[in-house]
Amino acid sequence: MQNQDGVQVDGEVESATSVPIPEFDEWANFGDQDIMQQHSAIRAEEAEKIPFLGDKEPLSSLAAEYQSGSAILLEKIKVLGEQYAAIRRTRGDGNCFFRSFMFSYLEHILESQDQSEVDRIKANVEQCRKTLQSLGYADFTFEDFFALFLEQLDSVLQGNEASISHDELILRSRDQSVSDYVVMFFRFVTSGEIRKRAEFFEPFILGLTNATVEQFCKSSVEPMGEESDHVHITALSDALGVPIRVVYLDRSSCDTGGVSVNHHDFIPAGSDLPNASGGSEKVSPFITLLYRPGHYDILYPK
Amino acid sequence: MSTPARKRLMRDFKRLQQDPPAGISGAPQDNNIMLWNAVIFGPDDTPWDGGTFKLTLQFTEDYPNKPPTVRFVSRMFHPNIYADGSICLDILQNQWSPIYDVAAILTSIQSLLCDPNPNSPANSEAARMFSENKREYNRRVRESVEQSWTAD
Repeated sequence: MQNQDGVQVDGEVESATSVPIPEFDEWANFGDQDIMQQHSAIRAEEAEKIPFLGDKEPLSSLAAEYQSGSAILLEKIKVLGEQYAAIRRTRGDGNCFFRSFMFSYLEHILESQDQSEVDRIKANVEQCRKTLQSLGYADFTFEDFFALFLEQLDSVLQGNEASISHDELILRSRDQSVSDYVVMFFRFVTSGEIRKRAEFFEPFILGLTNATVEQFCKSSVEPMGEESDHVHITALSDALGVPIRVVYLDRSSCDTGGVSVNHHDFIPAGSDLPNASGGSEKVSPFITLLYRPGHYDILYPK
Repeated sequence: MSTPARKRLMRDFKRLQQDPPAGISGAPQDNNIMLWNAVIFGPDDTPWDGGTFKLTLQFTEDYPNKPPTVRFVSRMFHPNIYADGSICLDILQNQWSPIYDVAAILTSIQSLLCDPNPNSPANSEAARMFSENKREYNRRVRESVEQSWTAD
């Protein structure tokens, strides 16, 4: 979670040259308003560099990033290349996990036209709505966010007048008024799930920060721009019943021998998928994200 | 024109009218749903008791994804309130979330009155007095209470 700080420090140094900072006679006059303004100026500047969602790029573009860097990473990227064909980057604005999930999920529905999956997730979304209501959230504070997500879900299904193309899905994912609302929808769902199962999540939260479940949700889940950790991913995956694979690309290496790339599958708890009864039959994720410390992007299998 | 921000603000207003939390009131200015006037009454049995503190809330079309700009119009003496009336409160800054409506914002500010956060002083004199000389601090607070009746 602290990674963001490093990024911000860089941003501030840069901004000293490119964002005009008004002069202050007195430090005391430099209030929150000014800090926020400066902060949003830095954000806007960063935003111009990377859209919320990038184009699909061949995996070689990832290797190019580390050309003069760690040999372990280059080795791992080579291993990744055996299974994965492409990467799609997201903006590092603290919402990258939710935004990657959003696009990856909607793109999957658009391509698979899996009506039964849509019916299934809609039932889960209704459950999430009830969860928030029972936790005491006022309907009007979250219903717009729910409605917008359901609208996107319907529009990626073809054959109705609201249907959209793949290009339009990309445009919407880059449009703040859609993209941020859907991210916020996921934040509501995640927070509701964590609060509902507070007892389950509490030890994990204590492992991350010295906060109560309530504090954690208020400070690290519900506000936009707060980065996601395994707690968020577990909660979202459980709440929506969507398995997620996270592939880790970091400098860690296992003992001697060849380099391997670790991944972790987040499989929804108590998966009520019809085929989950046998136990041995594994649910396989159709969403794959690439994690590099502090950031998530989307990976495309071969 | 009805935008998502305006529609949401209408619902905020409806909720504030139907289910007003104790000690606060607020309403949009005539013909402008994006600019609200509000009053926070000083909580009973505190030095703030009896105060009627006026504020403005300025919303943008980004609401509720972005917080409004909230400012006290009444002159305040408080560790987390700047001389120009702007407020240092996490939920109005980096901890903002759309789950907060106008009622929740005003309730949070109300509880900030009696429960200052000494870690982020906006008024260093008030912050120092709050921790070092509570008696003098309370006297200054009561002064601002009296001012709140007359000033307009």
